[in-house]
Amino acid sequence: MAEFHKADIEKLIDGVLPWPATQDMLKSSKDEDRFDKYVEIMQERVEFQEPILLPLTPMLFIVAEDGKRVVKCSCGHGFGDYRVNWKLSSLIHVRDDEASMGEIYKGRELPDVAWIQLREYICPGCGSQLEVEAVPRGCPPDFEFLPDLDTFYREWLGRPLPDEVEYRDLTLDRIAEWTR
Amino acid sequence: MATRSLKDQIASNEEAFKKTGALFGLETLKRKETDPGTYEAVWHILSNLCNAAWATGCKVSSSPIAAEGGDALWGLHTPTGEAICISRGISAHAGLLADMIKNFIDIGYEEYPGFKQGDIFENNDPHYGGIHSPDFDMCMPLFYEGELVAWASCVSHVADAGSVTPGSIGFINPDCYSDGLAISMERVGEGDRFYPWYELRIRSRTRTPDFVMGDARGRLAGCITLRERLFEVIEKYGLDLFKEASLEYVEDSRRYAVGRVKTQTVPGRIRKSQFKDLAMKGKRVLLAKQDVDCMFNLPMELTINADASVDLSLAGASGTVPFGENISPTALKSGLMMGYSHIIGFDMFNSGPISAWNIEMPPAGSWANPYPVDYQAASGVAWAPAVTWVSSLYEVFGRLFQTRGFIEEMAAGSGTIMTAEFSGINQTGMYLTGLTLEQASQGSPARGFADGENSAWCIYTPEADFGNAEISELYYPILFLGRNVAPDSGGYGRFRGGLGHTAVWMVYNTPGLEYQCGDAGMRSKIVGNHGMYGAYPAVPDRPGYGRDTNVKELIDAQKPLIHERGGPENPAVASAIEARDVQDNMIAPFVTPEPLQDYDIIVHPIAGAEAMGDPISRDPVTVVSDLNESWTSERVASDIHGVATTQSNGAYVVDEGKTARKREQIRKQRIARALPFKDWWEKEREKVQAQEGMDPAVIRMWASSMELSPKYAEELRRFWNLPEDFTFGS
Repeated sequence: MAEFHKADIEKLIDGVLPWPATQDMLKSSKDEDRFDKYVEIMQERVEFQEPILLPLTPMLFIVAEDGKRVVKCSCGHGFGDYRVNWKLSSLIHVRDDEASMGEIYKGRELPDVAWIQLREYICPGCGSQLEVEAVPRGCPPDFEFLPDLDTFYREWLGRPLPDEVEYRDLTLDRIAEWTR
Repeated sequence: MATRSLKDQIASNEEAFKKTGALFGLETLKRKETDPGTYEAVWHILSNLCNAAWATGCKVSSSPIAAEGGDALWGLHTPTGEAICISRGISAHAGLLADMIKNFIDIGYEEYPGFKQGDIFENNDPHYGGIHSPDFDMCMPLFYEGELVAWASCVSHVADAGSVTPGSIGFINPDCYSDGLAISMERVGEGDRFYPWYELRIRSRTRTPDFVMGDARGRLAGCITLRERLFEVIEKYGLDLFKEASLEYVEDSRRYAVGRVKTQTVPGRIRKSQFKDLAMKGKRVLLAKQDVDCMFNLPMELTINADASVDLSLAGASGTVPFGENISPTALKSGLMMGYSHIIGFDMFNSGPISAWNIEMPPAGSWANPYPVDYQAASGVAWAPAVTWVSSLYEVFGRLFQTRGFIEEMAAGSGTIMTAEFSGINQTGMYLTGLTLEQASQGSPARGFADGENSAWCIYTPEADFGNAEISELYYPILFLGRNVAPDSGGYGRFRGGLGHTAVWMVYNTPGLEYQCGDAGMRSKIVGNHGMYGAYPAVPDRPGYGRDTNVKELIDAQKPLIHERGGPENPAVASAIEARDVQDNMIAPFVTPEPLQDYDIIVHPIAGAEAMGDPISRDPVTVVSDLNESWTSERVASDIHGVATTQSNGAYVVDEGKTARKREQIRKQRIARALPFKDWWEKEREKVQAQEGMDPAVIRMWASSMELSPKYAEELRRFWNLPEDFTFGS
């Protein structure tokens, strides 16, 4: 089983690992401790102290905070329970007319805004653009990944999390709260 | 002891898999464990037999698609059909070929007409699992000392299969009867020879019979090569080893894929919406029902279970379209298997990895399962929605790999596939129709550690090769005026998508040439839903052409010609030449309204791929490097990436202070202008309910998605807090 230095994994994340070393990582059997090393690296880079349970994206993390599992941006801004699509707690900028769409796509490259809108999800804390969706009106935002965290830690990593929670998508429950 | 029928063997294999969780009930890999060296060696020998078949078959074929583009595939299968290994070439077909063999067994051909050495079986009929008529799937049973020990298979993409319009990208076909010549699960030859009536049919029912028969002979030559070489291997290593090891290779590959899922992903539910346009209203079509714009809903939902098996759902897929862009579930599964082979199961690519998937039957009556509702649905280029959908698989697994830290395995979505086909009389006086190979070399997706590569990748084939320009010029009455990397054609992000290219052709030496700008998975009205981690999706496909031009005068006067697509706001076809009919921003796909003449110009863009990451987190040095290569524009560098530059010795350099301030300003502007999601949702739900600002094609898409998938409809209504009886279009 291969083993890679933490420093090389950091270079890989930063896009500066030399190509031969990157190829080595691609071709070798995978290192068993990659997840732990990756979490350790990201923990050192984020601007919060709570332990990372899972890097959801390069910018968003599921963390343990006060006995709860919440999504946080690397800047520390919180997005609430990881079982609710974090997008519901973000800022959103939508390009659904030619003027705003034209700031990104010009002339011949302009998509038809009656067919598609561009949704930019912005972190209220740091202004990072966390995701962009290009979908027609009517499309609910993608809940890209709802991890089964307890199964992952208990059965795949062999170290159960102390407080199991129900594995369920709570997004529509949040919507229901908004409509009461 | 009586030999069990193949059908019985399939049934007992399925039973054993259910019981043990191992394919063929192979709970131990005996050959691998006892003699791993021979096991590995024979695997590589078998793989190379397939490659030898590919090399032989493509050269025998002589058609430009096979001989120059290698657009074909050969495979070796178990007696019950599972692919053991395949050649290089269009790997998208491995699943189709495996399922075709199983289908021949399932419908009783073992009993009648029976299988014997030298038999040639073919299918290209989507109703029986084919993908589209130009892809001729062939298989031959291989008997060693009287025992059926394997199958050889092949597919090649013919230049013309006699569909209603010339060529092989039949997006415009209105129904299955216009899809062309059907080989419907037929024995087409015996004794290593085609029946004479097979050739007669091809001669009378395809437009380029010499090439189509060349492809047929190429398929046959490859399969015979595979058979003869395989028997040499069996002579050397023994029949028992071959029979046992070939099953082990399939199970081994399943274990490898399951192992990768378990060690490199995380269990849970993954969702990815995806859409594709097909705008045909007001264009040249064949039947009145085709005067319509269409939008496809191509949803993907994966569930990775505790045992690392994968459930797949297409709930929400929209309805069939009156064009050749519907696909059978069998063919779609093959496309999925191809995508999965790029991402997960590529170490020993065969039927193994996909066996760990539980694929829910797509909604009946959708583009992904048309026949239960629309038996006449056309499949002239069934790949079109399929590859656009499979593109989501790259992003989805890229996201999963990231969660475990396997950055080197990440990829964003793929480029789109817009084809160019010609038909007409060429410079030798010969009628020709066929596909150019430009689309087989798109940009590659951004990776977790770097940009995608330019013009070096293609979703449907690892043979990303657009062929030699001179070969295209040899067959078709065209001359290349340009073939160059297209700036800003990949998505914008921390790591950008690999760039596509532009082919600029001048029509030359023909009494008339039709240009069909085809859809084999393009987007022209919209961009892909590939804003991974905050990137912007790659630009839409927008070709152009000029008719009745001044190019001859420019040549005579030795003045500059047109060589590239030009900037988005000053397309070259409008600015570099003069023409009576200038089309610089066409919505694809289309067929030119009348044949093009000498000196007419075509500007055919090939897509770049998708990006990942916030564009303002892109390394400014990389942005400036792109500027100096002319791979990006000052506008994109400044407005999208937030990079300020100065000039030094004629080259761009980063102004670090200004860049930092500019990026900070962009962050502040984003926060200032964006709305809390709930505020937007409250206004947007009213627009959704009023169906405001939505093109009829979008409304029809939602209506069909909701009708075909009631649970999907319920979730959509609940998300937007719509009435329980709300439907779009009402």
